[in-house]
Amino acid sequence: MAKTMLTRRSFVKASAVAAATVAAASMAEELVPASDAYADDSSASEEKIVHTVCRACIAQCPILAHVRDGRVVKLEGDPDGPMTHGAACAKGLAGIQALYNPMRNKYPMIRTGERGTNSFKRVSWDEALDTIADKLMEAYDKYGPEAVFTSTGGGGNPHINGPIRFANSFGAPNTFEPGCAQCYLPRQSQARLVYGGRPDDNLSIADSNVLEYYFQDTEARVCVLWGAGPSWSGPSMTGNAIARLRARPEGLKTVVIDPRCTADASKADIWLPIRTGTDVALMMCWIKYIIDNELFDKEFCQQWTNFPFLVDPDTKIDIDAKEIGGTEGNYVVYDNAQGKVVEMPYPYPDGYDVALFGEYDVTFSDGTTKKCKTGYQVLKEACEDYSLENTADICWLDADKIEEAIRLYTDNCSTLIHGLATDRSPNSAQAALAALELECMMGHVECPGAALQAFGKLGPQPGIVENDTFGQGCLQALVTREMLEKRLGAPEHKGFYNWQVSHIPSVLEAIKTGEPYKPRIWLERSGNKLAMLGNVKSWYDVFPEIDFCVHAYMYPTSFTVECADVIIPTREWLECPKPVKLLNMIFPRQEVAHLFETADETMYWARLAAKCAERGNDRCRRAFDWNEVAPGKSVMDGNWEMGVADGIPWAHDEAELMEFFMKDCVDPDTGEKMTFPELCEKGPITYSPMETWRQYYVYKQTNPDTGLPYGFGSHSKRVEPYSDITVKLGRTGYPFALCEEGQVDLGEEYSVEYEPVPYYMEPDESPLDDSEYPLVMTAGRVPYFHHGTLRNVPWLREIQPTAEIWINKQDADKYGIENSGDWVKVSSRRGETYARALITGAIAPGMVYQERFWYPELLDTDYKDHGSWMAGNVNVLTKNDAPFSDVYGTYTLEGFQVKIEPVDSCPFDIWTEPEQFSAWLPEPSDPTTDDYEIPEEL
Amino acid sequence: MPHYAIAVNLNLCTGCMSCEVACKQENDVPLGVYWNRVQRFMQGDAYPDFKQFWLPTMCQQCQEAPCVEVCPVGASYRDGDDNTVLIDEDKCIGCQACISACPYGVRTYVEDTNKVVKCELCHQLTTQGDKPACVKNCPAGCRFYGDADDPDSDFSKAIANADADSVHQFPDSGNKPTSAYILSDRIGDWPYEG
Repeated sequence: MAKTMLTRRSFVKASAVAAATVAAASMAEELVPASDAYADDSSASEEKIVHTVCRACIAQCPILAHVRDGRVVKLEGDPDGPMTHGAACAKGLAGIQALYNPMRNKYPMIRTGERGTNSFKRVSWDEALDTIADKLMEAYDKYGPEAVFTSTGGGGNPHINGPIRFANSFGAPNTFEPGCAQCYLPRQSQARLVYGGRPDDNLSIADSNVLEYYFQDTEARVCVLWGAGPSWSGPSMTGNAIARLRARPEGLKTVVIDPRCTADASKADIWLPIRTGTDVALMMCWIKYIIDNELFDKEFCQQWTNFPFLVDPDTKIDIDAKEIGGTEGNYVVYDNAQGKVVEMPYPYPDGYDVALFGEYDVTFSDGTTKKCKTGYQVLKEACEDYSLENTADICWLDADKIEEAIRLYTDNCSTLIHGLATDRSPNSAQAALAALELECMMGHVECPGAALQAFGKLGPQPGIVENDTFGQGCLQALVTREMLEKRLGAPEHKGFYNWQVSHIPSVLEAIKTGEPYKPRIWLERSGNKLAMLGNVKSWYDVFPEIDFCVHAYMYPTSFTVECADVIIPTREWLECPKPVKLLNMIFPRQEVAHLFETADETMYWARLAAKCAERGNDRCRRAFDWNEVAPGKSVMDGNWEMGVADGIPWAHDEAELMEFFMKDCVDPDTGEKMTFPELCEKGPITYSPMETWRQYYVYKQTNPDTGLPYGFGSHSKRVEPYSDITVKLGRTGYPFALCEEGQVDLGEEYSVEYEPVPYYMEPDESPLDDSEYPLVMTAGRVPYFHHGTLRNVPWLREIQPTAEIWINKQDADKYGIENSGDWVKVSSRRGETYARALITGAIAPGMVYQERFWYPELLDTDYKDHGSWMAGNVNVLTKNDAPFSDVYGTYTLEGFQVKIEPVDSCPFDIWTEPEQFSAWLPEPSDPTTDDYEIPEEL
Repeated sequence: MPHYAIAVNLNLCTGCMSCEVACKQENDVPLGVYWNRVQRFMQGDAYPDFKQFWLPTMCQQCQEAPCVEVCPVGASYRDGDDNTVLIDEDKCIGCQACISACPYGVRTYVEDTNKVVKCELCHQLTTQGDKPACVKNCPAGCRFYGDADDPDSDFSKAIANADADSVHQFPDSGNKPTSAYILSDRIGDWPYEG
């Protein structure tokens, strides 16, 4: 076993050999001076306080940065933040140690040694970009654009969608992100299909939604946190919101459904420590109970959902009134008042009393008669088996507690907040749908206290382009139908079209086999793919198939060492300018500092696109032209008829990029158009008065264009919890298959069948029949790391220096683990890794929990044992083969089987003591800006 | 004289560790040393008989502070204006008598400098009318700074709003700690006498 040679002294000393070949991130002597926490205060000049916005995770908390002599010397929460009220979490406050970290990638580098060694040489930006563009266009000419693929990640960066935009402008059909199908895509997409809301109108508080919870006067009294842990996923934003509501005199009661006792679970009125992977069974139980006990909102269900619509049993699609000789666009219902099957106009007619349940004879125009059920009836029958008792058995819960939880939900002003837990296993689509069905049944739509809201839909719009989501806006107008067809795994799992991304196991398989074609050039941006991808060893095994790989990030990671041929140095959030919308306000994220030759990521991709355009890629040329990329249709209004659009082109320089971001932004005081420097100067602005912005029941308000209520973005203008649109998605790609031609039908060749109502799948690896690997692995966040980020930040690593596995005492006794802190080996059918045991009642017997840890300290010597990504990483164990989610292609990151055994120590030479992390403290030195040249455009 | 201190509502604390990092940044606390340390308490072996909370420990601002009494050189002292227990690093000789005297283990000897350090309630901020860094930044809004003798202070109001049964202090051996904690039975069992 190799030994880490790097004490702090030798780390610095080794890096002083700034010869032709150096290790990435061993250049501590060239650091720009650090925070005054480490510098002499005596010559300090005046301190400036700057409004900016954190992006250490996706929450975007406003921060006040204290700056002296161009250096960031202190960070604190911004009291003006309307969603944070001055709060700042450990990750955000540690931003200084991320910014001034000695590991920063400082300039572009090109590999000099073999992959697996940390050997690179410094090159100019031009040389780096020319090298990449040459490789890209050579591959384009030789193999076609599909030889190139890109990837991205959610950790700590404001430009997550750059890789999708670049792929679309290059003509490459494949981009992926390890979250995505395993995080947020199922819940976000299903909400668009059911609620017809805008991209951010859904039940996920961790993805900056559920805005009702940022108001102290909300009528919300009960909250169901289903696989959500807002106190840990976003401590200073989502956690702050929940804490403030809990602290009210009237409080906030909570039901927490989570196998872990998170901070939220430990404060819950009812904690249901569910067996991981069985959530859909529990949701179907709730649906059944609420139907059986008639606890749903009958009026809302009749008037504003498609539950009463009669369904064609042959197609599973709601019958259009045209099919019975009525008006196209109306639907068909059984009206109790008239005692017959009638067509259902919009809005709901006075005097109707439509049947929610039952089966009725419908005579079609061609004279045939079919027995047709209502959508609600179909759902009811699907849930038939999930009684309280059966479900308690499946989920390892207590039937009485389940009932108590349902009653708390149904008997109060409540909402269901749906976290990402259920996105991490193949039942993801059904969980997303069932959660929305519950909220629709209860009428929790745009009413006080509800998660689903259309705040800000009416009244002044922010006028900025946020450009940090997937899907629409990502240069979609440049995508061809052929690219949609070639997108790996997307025709089978058509939910991927919503975010314009590919199915990760299908990309892996194509790299391995060359079928249906071979992706071979990899442009990656994000942290450590070797820590974040499911079953990472299967990815490591195909690295020899990758002809050329570029890694763009702020630091080198395991991925850099094992796979990258070129390193692109990118900016930390304290270096990235961008306007950020928070409720009815806009905050400036400012370029508070800028170190070395690091690039704004969007500008890196733009410049690479320009280089490819110079080499003859015409699509890349078009990507700089407004007329080509933004046909002027807005797609963010939540209508299924989404259309292609609302992208911004690549910018020629950063000033132009800021103009694009600030597109229609207006200074509320003058009514004049506002520039980004003006926003920075002025500080946060309010673009819409709160009383205009925060309105309930937007769907009931009259649309002046039609004289009718706005309704929802679906065809029926109702919410559609009987999700026949999901069935249509499978058969055609509608409404997500979007390209230059607009919304396209992918046709019979690509047709697959999805279900309109949920069904439960027992996990593929299950404790019910697995004696070799007896324990269920679950997953979840800790509050001081986001994804794979920040493991090289001393203040955070000393909080949790090593990987940790939670295990119940009963299991610890069974498997011979004596004390918390003891090392254990954890194995699955994919591999083995190590962690320190935490023996705790915070995890139910039969289950264990471990996070995705990796060890940056193992990068710096030329380790051949791959310890940086294998020593403590649960993704060595996770499962990336079938079954996948039908709609979203989700693989298994939780709810698979492991075994554990005690070991004497971790066999890798990781750092465990606080003093060891001092190697990553900022090292003050003289300014070295003369050594760095940042091209104008970057 | 006033008695400034921090009250922490453990019913709200989420163990996010923001206060540890805020403290380190504001006060330049070395790695491995804590002026404010958050400890996780897990009570009971398994659901449903399981409780969990986090307990941040810092200088308790004793009203009869033994550290002040035992310091041979007057380095541990009370501020003349606001009565806060502070350390004058210039005077400290590193004898560590105060560490032996402190019942709560909130003081740390730093070998490099031969000084003893501890939480000073961010005196550099509070004297400017600001709040301690851990209080301002707290994501759960569970820390309340103020004069325990002033009924209008954030500290006193937090205590007054809590059930009397759920207000706790560290064991008092005559040193009279000022800091206070709010913890309801539903969330956890106070681990100390008192």
